[in-house]
Amino acid sequence: MKPLDPRLLRHARAARAYLALTVATGVLTAGLVVAQALLLARALGGAVQDGLDLAAVGDEVVALAAVVLARVLVVGVQERFAHRAATRAVAELRAGVVERAVALGPRWLAAGRGPELVTLATRGLDALEPYFVRYLPQLVLAATVTPAALLVVLGLDRVSAAVVVGTLPLVPVFMVLVGRLTEGRSARGLRGMQTLAAQTLDLLAGLPTLRALGRERGPAARVRELGDAHRRATMGTLRIAFLSGMVLELLTTLSVALVAVGIGLRLVGGHLPLVTGLAVLVLAPEVYAPLRQVGAQFHASTDGVAAAEAAFAVLETPLPPRGTHPAPDLARTALRLHGVAVRQPTGALAPEGLDLEVRPGRVVALVGTSGSGKTTAVEVLLGLLRPDAGAARLVAVDGTGPALDLADVDPATLWSQVSWLPQRPVLEPGTVAALVGGDAPVRERAAALTGLDAVVAALPDGWGHRVGAGGTGLSVGQRQRVALTRALVSPAPLVVLDEPTAHLDAHGEEVVLRTVETLRASGRAVVLVAHRASLAAVADDVVVVRAAAATEMEADRPAAPAPAGTPRAATVAAGRSDAPVPEVVR
Amino acid sequence: MSAATTSAVSGDARATVDADPPRGTLRRAVALLDVDRRRVLLAVVLGTLALGCAVALAAVAAWLIARASQMPPVLVLSVATVGVRAFGVGRGVLRYVERLVSHDVALRGMTQLRTTLYERLAAGSPAALVPLRRGDLLARVGEDVDAVGDVVVRGLLPAAVAALLGVGTVAAMTVLWPPAGAALALALLLAGVVAPAVTARTARLTERRAAAGRARRSAAALALVDDAGPLAVAGLADERLRALRDADADVAAAVDAGAPSSALAAALGPLAQGLAVLAALVTGIPAVRRGDLAATDLAVVVLTPLAAFEATALLPAAATQLHRSRAAAARVLALLDATTPHPTPAPAATSGAAPAPGAAPVPAGAGLHARGLACGWPGRPPVVAGLDLDLVPGRSVAVVGPSGTGKTTLLLTLAGLLPPTGGLVALDGRPVGAWPAADLPHHVVATLEDAHVFGTTVLENLRVARGDVTEAEAAAALRRVGLGPWLAALPDGLATRLGPDARTVSGGERRRLLLARALLTHAPLLLVDEPAEHLDPALADALVTDLLRGAANGAADGAADGAADGAADGAGDGPNGGRGVLVVTHRLTPLAAADEVVLLGDGGVVDRGTHAELLARRADYREARRREGEGDAG
Repeated sequence: MKPLDPRLLRHARAARAYLALTVATGVLTAGLVVAQALLLARALGGAVQDGLDLAAVGDEVVALAAVVLARVLVVGVQERFAHRAATRAVAELRAGVVERAVALGPRWLAAGRGPELVTLATRGLDALEPYFVRYLPQLVLAATVTPAALLVVLGLDRVSAAVVVGTLPLVPVFMVLVGRLTEGRSARGLRGMQTLAAQTLDLLAGLPTLRALGRERGPAARVRELGDAHRRATMGTLRIAFLSGMVLELLTTLSVALVAVGIGLRLVGGHLPLVTGLAVLVLAPEVYAPLRQVGAQFHASTDGVAAAEAAFAVLETPLPPRGTHPAPDLARTALRLHGVAVRQPTGALAPEGLDLEVRPGRVVALVGTSGSGKTTAVEVLLGLLRPDAGAARLVAVDGTGPALDLADVDPATLWSQVSWLPQRPVLEPGTVAALVGGDAPVRERAAALTGLDAVVAALPDGWGHRVGAGGTGLSVGQRQRVALTRALVSPAPLVVLDEPTAHLDAHGEEVVLRTVETLRASGRAVVLVAHRASLAAVADDVVVVRAAAATEMEADRPAAPAPAGTPRAATVAAGRSDAPVPEVVR
Repeated sequence: MSAATTSAVSGDARATVDADPPRGTLRRAVALLDVDRRRVLLAVVLGTLALGCAVALAAVAAWLIARASQMPPVLVLSVATVGVRAFGVGRGVLRYVERLVSHDVALRGMTQLRTTLYERLAAGSPAALVPLRRGDLLARVGEDVDAVGDVVVRGLLPAAVAALLGVGTVAAMTVLWPPAGAALALALLLAGVVAPAVTARTARLTERRAAAGRARRSAAALALVDDAGPLAVAGLADERLRALRDADADVAAAVDAGAPSSALAAALGPLAQGLAVLAALVTGIPAVRRGDLAATDLAVVVLTPLAAFEATALLPAAATQLHRSRAAAARVLALLDATTPHPTPAPAATSGAAPAPGAAPVPAGAGLHARGLACGWPGRPPVVAGLDLDLVPGRSVAVVGPSGTGKTTLLLTLAGLLPPTGGLVALDGRPVGAWPAADLPHHVVATLEDAHVFGTTVLENLRVARGDVTEAEAAAALRRVGLGPWLAALPDGLATRLGPDARTVSGGERRRLLLARALLTHAPLLLVDEPAEHLDPALADALVTDLLRGAANGAADGAADGAADGAADGAGDGPNGGRGVLVVTHRLTPLAAADEVVLLGDGGVVDRGTHAELLARRADYREARRREGEGDAG
């Protein structure tokens, strides 16, 4: 990232006002630094050289006190607003990143990005605070105080200015040189360090397992070995990383020393007034101070800068175009998948060549081994992700009207007609009654069917029992019953149940079967992701979902999307009715 | 904190986030770092000298210029000119060496603390580890140990350097002009003690005010990312995003509330410096007129303070670090303290030879025997009570029951990983609690759902069970748990590396990998938790049947038969060469292979018997079994 990335100002509006404030305090600080040096030099010079008394330099001393107070105020104001701006800017970035991730959908998150993104959105971006609070002000000071002090030195004493101007460019030159020299080495070192640290943590995290197997004794020595190796690797990196700091400090202190010696020698010769000499002596370190601070603070804010980079990458990932066509009424529309294939992050296609039809009043069961892409197929069906091959279309049941590509449909209008029970039900905090929805009689009837009535009866507050975020306060089985009842109460014409019997015993399974029967009877289209054969038995159509391994897929990867209607024997007639083989869709 | 509040805090069991760690927490943790005192001293001396060079540079330069303005012979200035240059070089070099020494000390300390932590956790009570979630354990041995180590470099060292340098500078100024020395001392206290104290206090208050908001913020972000699809479909995504923004706004408000004191603390630094300069100027000028102070020394006492506050400027950050490290130290110590073995309170579990009056006698004989066993998490009501159970080599037991009936808790208790809350468990005639924790796994091994998959190869992950597992044994064990095709599909076979969080392994594969690991041990008793979850019914039933049969016909070790030398554990095989296997499951179909089926429910045993007996006796059992069968037929 550049010292000040314009993207930061674009994505975090709070940063703009703050930058303006920081520039203002920076300009003020520059003026105050110069004023302080000149006033101090005049008061001190007068007293030292001319033996003036306090009254004679009284004006300067009073003005100096005023300057000190002003600096105190400026620092206070800067600090007062720095934390606030940092918090707000980080909050903006966080909300933006999470919003974009949600909009990018499960496909984008699935490529191992989920945990990374959560870390970024929580701890990662918080590391930007030192960037805003410490680094940015110093960067501005380097752009205001450094040139201001340098200009005044130039006006006062050309020789000292020459020393400063001569050494100042060496600072960035040496930084770049040392940086270049160490770049490859420290990157390698860093990787090694991370590996060693990860191995140590892995060993410690596995300790309960090692204990359960009686194998915990040996690895203690390994923990120490890894720790020592980590220390040696880290010190190797630090020896080089700290070099840049040393060069910076060496250059700045040494050039101040050279300025001081130069002034001293010219004072002896009488070529320079003492007041000028003192002013230059006070100002010379001020030229370098912000540069040194920028270096130090940049070190502290690198984590935040890296997080910001990652955040920009997310924020600038283009969103797939969103359909605008309102979805037709699903009570009169069938959803069809034709030759659908989705490439997984591993490279495999799962599902592959999937054909299926979801119609009102029918139950479709998706079966297949784990990893064959059943849940992915549901995500395609719901328009959460676009298939890499094949098509997902909406067709009117009575055959009227043209087929509508799912990609052209505004997803919100589709989703408002869907009741989806994912593998892990999403329960927002609230009372059980609010979670289930519907009015009391409907709710009671549905609860009697799903067995939620018994659960509610056992709860201290009954329907008014409050459930925390993620369903805390209910057991897994109880959550599942709440979610099932909700699906039953919801008037949505399409109901998707993803492994509704997982973690339920035989009795719980009975509940699910009853629920599915009731849904079908009420004319709803039901999609079941089924593990257990008993569940698939209730379906009108059973669709076997298959995956193609990564290696196979490389060989017969279709150059173009499979033509619609290509016969693929993935639909198996089952249950008690004739399963329709989807006809060719134009 | 007063002594009264300290004891109030430590006496309150609920004191968690709000409570400050008790006094001495950080000292105890730092002692565990076992840092080399000579190295620390060296770092302090180097750090003081480095910053001392900066102060000396300012002082000598001031003297040089003031003296030069009096136009003395150049020779008079030669020492000062050399000194100025030397100080200019010394600062950078000394600081470089100091940073290397201090970081080395801290890293050594962290390694020491991690090793100690590992050793204590390995030797202490296993119950301390069970309730810890993986993420929590990682955080404590990772970030928290780092934070304790950081206190050396970022907390204690800057404080020591600032104190030493402050005393030195004040002493030098006092020699030249006592009022300037006194003013500098006060100013240094303002910048080096008051400002850091205000900063630390503000940080602590803000942290406390913002804690709830931060927690809600993390939860909201996590929920949004985890359930992005379902939330979008349910139309809840916008609402959750609003909740995230609201939580962030609360955090911002908390930060805002602390901002004025932060501003005050930040302003104290420049204020102190300005006051020191002004005081030296105002008291020094008349003194020069009076002849009490040399004119050149006036320049020194006025200009030195400009360089004297560099050390104190680091202290507010050091104070914050101290606070952060203290909190981390408290968490690390809590983990260490939890591993200190507690005396087992259960009266029956004290001695096998002399059972307490009224308690059931310890059952004699090989194998695992539970009598009137009650188990549950410490401090919570037992989930299972009054359980009798016998598991001997060659015998197989299936435990069935609805979710939430405490099957996993029972398993942990039987394996000696949780103390029983009542009754007793004896292994080979001796209460499980009386066995040395390290010996138990040689006799009874439990597969735990959240067992760790190490970031190494498949083979090494299996060798965790036993160091001498051969490739053939490993492959056979994987095939036995139905992972044959999975193994065949792995790019490097047994040498394939698994990710640290086993992302390359699905839930079902992971569970079976852990089962294969348990099968490779030589333990004569095996406790298996839901081996067939996430498997399709046919495979699941085959696997459970194989496990249960393996017990009876002695084929349990399949591949491990060849390794019957088993010298590592010396436990040997059971009477009929088979293992004792206890399987927790929710499918009834494969239970014909079990010697005994125990039905759990309502906090205890509902019924028990063989599969055939239960089928004959219990209508609900028959019905549940029938429904499974019906499902399989479809």
